[in-house]
Amino acid sequence: MIKAVTMLKYFQSQLWRTLFLVGAGVLFAVTLSSLIRLEAVDVLQEKVALPLQIIYGELLGFISPGPRYIMYPILIKLQEFGVNMGVIIALISGHVLIEPSTFLVEAGFFGYRFPIKRFVVSLIVTFLAGMAAAALSGFVC
Amino acid sequence: MLKWWKSLGPDIKIAILLIGISGVLMLFYSVDVKQLFITNLALTIKILYLTVVAIAITTVIHFLVPVDFAEKYLKNNSLLYLFYATLLGTLTPGPVYAIYPIVLELRRKGVSNAILVAFLTGQTIIGPARAPFEIGFFGLKFYLFRILLALVMGPVAGLLYIAFSRLWPDIKEIKS
Repeated sequence: MIKAVTMLKYFQSQLWRTLFLVGAGVLFAVTLSSLIRLEAVDVLQEKVALPLQIIYGELLGFISPGPRYIMYPILIKLQEFGVNMGVIIALISGHVLIEPSTFLVEAGFFGYRFPIKRFVVSLIVTFLAGMAAAALSGFVC
Repeated sequence: MLKWWKSLGPDIKIAILLIGISGVLMLFYSVDVKQLFITNLALTIKILYLTVVAIAITTVIHFLVPVDFAEKYLKNNSLLYLFYATLLGTLTPGPVYAIYPIVLELRRKGVSNAILVAFLTGQTIIGPARAPFEIGFFGLKFYLFRILLALVMGPVAGLLYIAFSRLWPDIKEIKS
């Protein structure tokens, strides 16, 4: 009974902070996604090769600010526009693997070489994951 | 004002910044705010509802999984542990800032940086709290595929880190 009360208190304390953060994130994401135009996505898909699209996706993910959940509204919009699954996987993975703020935190904790190497490693594994997802997109969706 | 700002937690600061940036974007690009809210109302409700589910899952894991769980199983630095580290990372809930104290503690206990990279990769790429979002929006197959990808990406990240460290060792390794 005591544990249930403690759990409920913890749940409540986490809930309001997270809802505020996610709410702000969703506001940012829907604002940003309203600026995405279908024509722009079409041009990108026609003129840019898939591997390069995946690299763009992961780099965009790396520099995107905010919590993990804010990517979802943008990803849904991109999926509606027919963006390749590899790009979606690159964005969703790239967004959280490393970001400017965690880069600085890690440099402070482990020295500057650690986040630099982690950034390069993240870039490679996200690209590989994107390519794998693109190849297997028929099975994924 | 500055004192009030400093007293806020980093998550609240990020939220306020995101609201500010959204406001600037809306003004700069003349976004129809009413239309924006009407169009995205269903999606917003779904995300907020899924957030509640995600927090419930995180709460249960927080109380079921002991604090020293990761520490207990990652002391060995062998290659097989890259996979274990990734797996443990995928099971560890919370934002990445919340797990840095665990990562620091692991490092103090002698866990190698490659294992830490695998752990961080697993923790950030996927997690139990993501399940309601990804299953809700993209389907179960997509989420299972992402878990599988994460379990491969973590050890690969660890191995690549080892390879890079041979070319460009960590500062501590040079000193020793």
